[in-house]
Amino acid sequence: MNYILHLLIMIGIYMILSYGLNLVVGFGGLLSLCHAVFYGIGAYACTLLMMKCGLPFLPAILLTILITGICALIVGFPALRFRGDSFVIVTLGFQMIVFTVLYNWVDLTRGPYGIPGIPRPVIAGYEFTTLPEYLIIVWTFLILIAVVLFIIYKSPFGLALKALRDNEMAAEGLGKSPVHLFLYAFVISGMTASVAGGLYATYVTYIDPTSFTLDESIFLLTVLLVGGTGNRIGPFVGTVFMILLPEALRFLGMPDAVAANARQMIYGLTLILLMFFRPQGIAGKYMVR
Amino acid sequence: MRTEGLKIKNLSKAMNGLKIVDRVTATFLPGRITALVGPNGAGKTTLFHLITGELKPDMGEIFYRKKKIAGLPPYKVARNGIGRLFQDVRVFENLTVFENVASACYSERSETPWFPFLHIKGLRSFNRDIADRVMFWLEFGGLADLKDTPASSLSYGQQKILAITRIMAAGFSILLLDEPTAGLNPVMIKRVLNILKKIIKEDKSKTIVLVEHNMSVVTEVADWVYFMNEGRISFFGRTDHVLGDQEVREIYLGL
Ligand SMILES: Nc1ncnc2c1ncn2[C@@H]1O[C@H](COP(=O)(O)OP(=O)(O)OP(=O)(O)O)[C@@H](O)[C@H]1O
Ligand SMILES: [Mg+2]
Repeated sequence: MNYILHLLIMIGIYMILSYGLNLVVGFGGLLSLCHAVFYGIGAYACTLLMMKCGLPFLPAILLTILITGICALIVGFPALRFRGDSFVIVTLGFQMIVFTVLYNWVDLTRGPYGIPGIPRPVIAGYEFTTLPEYLIIVWTFLILIAVVLFIIYKSPFGLALKALRDNEMAAEGLGKSPVHLFLYAFVISGMTASVAGGLYATYVTYIDPTSFTLDESIFLLTVLLVGGTGNRIGPFVGTVFMILLPEALRFLGMPDAVAANARQMIYGLTLILLMFFRPQGIAGKYMVR
Repeated sequence: MRTEGLKIKNLSKAMNGLKIVDRVTATFLPGRITALVGPNGAGKTTLFHLITGELKPDMGEIFYRKKKIAGLPPYKVARNGIGRLFQDVRVFENLTVFENVASACYSERSETPWFPFLHIKGLRSFNRDIADRVMFWLEFGGLADLKDTPASSLSYGQQKILAITRIMAAGFSILLLDEPTAGLNPVMIKRVLNILKKIIKEDKSKTIVLVEHNMSVVTEVADWVYFMNEGRISFFGRTDHVLGDQEVREIYLGL
């Protein structure tokens, strides 16, 4: 039972991450390899605000969103001068830089030692500690963020992003400023990821930089591409699929000696087959190039 | 005398040491269809790129509504009221016909991410107004039946009509049309020409500039012609005068 609750909590956190990333990748058509940067900054900012500044959870999360938004602005401004492959490489560069900072700024982050003993969220005097309680808080945030994002997806802004994605020259010719609109999307996406970071940190109560590596960014992108981008169900389908598939493979009853490796290979093979038969993702219409 | 409209003065652009647009001076007046004709590689599309900001001129100025617009980024040129049909059409392929036109109807302000949150109350009537406007323009372009079709599954001709409808819906007063009839069958050409005539007839403040290789089209709709060759405007005047000119006929029509 606890195991299932844990999976549901992780699915909630990853759905927040992928719904936010969807704005940049699915709507904007920009493949970002640094989403874990904002996830990580969110986790560290929230942790430090709670532990060093003694802030309660909710003010800490609000400040975290603000701080991460500013970081996303700083990263996005130079990154969004690029498109296509160059944009991918530039975001990869930021991913590497931020990871290195988290790893080596020992005074602030304790670097590789990580930060243990992160307090659980306390809201209105009530402490969320057990798994069911945590499930409630994560999914409450998920629903709030999803509502905001769905409104944005459906808004003129969402349509303008898709127009820029499909044909930037034509969209700009209709008066849409690529710099502004892409930057808004990038910042919103970073801010939502920071909430996931804060929830993750207070859930596992221990963070270190290895949770926010390039691997994580690639995983997040995979979640989105597998599920399908530019719509409301893709991120959900992708998250459930990518988190539950490896778990499901555990029940195949393979001999222990090969189980771990075999699981990895089946996982990889599934992804390859998926891209082969549904390059636009399980629930996607639009194919990211 | 009112000389609104688009004025170009001494506009030049060189690429790879080659003068693609060479000291071009021209005036495009409202209420009129002006054709820009000339052989392949004359620099017509490049001239459009310079006007809409895709390229920055090396020299020269562009005046529109007493404002200098040369060198502005494309989205700012567009916001000044200058719209363009690209030679390679450029519809939003993954959007429906409706969405393609809708994307042209929104103001800069309504395209901010916070707009829906500040106008939660009025959102429904806002969306209804936009939908009405979109439908009006879809009727205008004769695309209403196709409104839910993805733009990528339209025929080439329908895509061109969609792109023209889009810049009409955006409310531009200057329309730069790069070969709107190229690659279309006679039926579609007729439809495009009817749309152009309707635009000018219904709204005398619109300025249409038409790059066109098909001389019967030029004769049919254009009031005024600029003839461009090797980056320069070598002739201009009333359509029958320019097309009747012996040199134009030799260089361009091979007569
Ligand atoms: N980016 C570029 N770099 C160098 N030369 C270019 C570039 N773009 C266009 N040219 C050259 O500029 C010249 C004019 O091109 P342009 O596309 O403006 O011609 P055009 O009059 O529109 O021709 P067409 O009728 O075939 O469309 C051509 O010789 C072309 O090869
Ligand atoms: Mg051309």
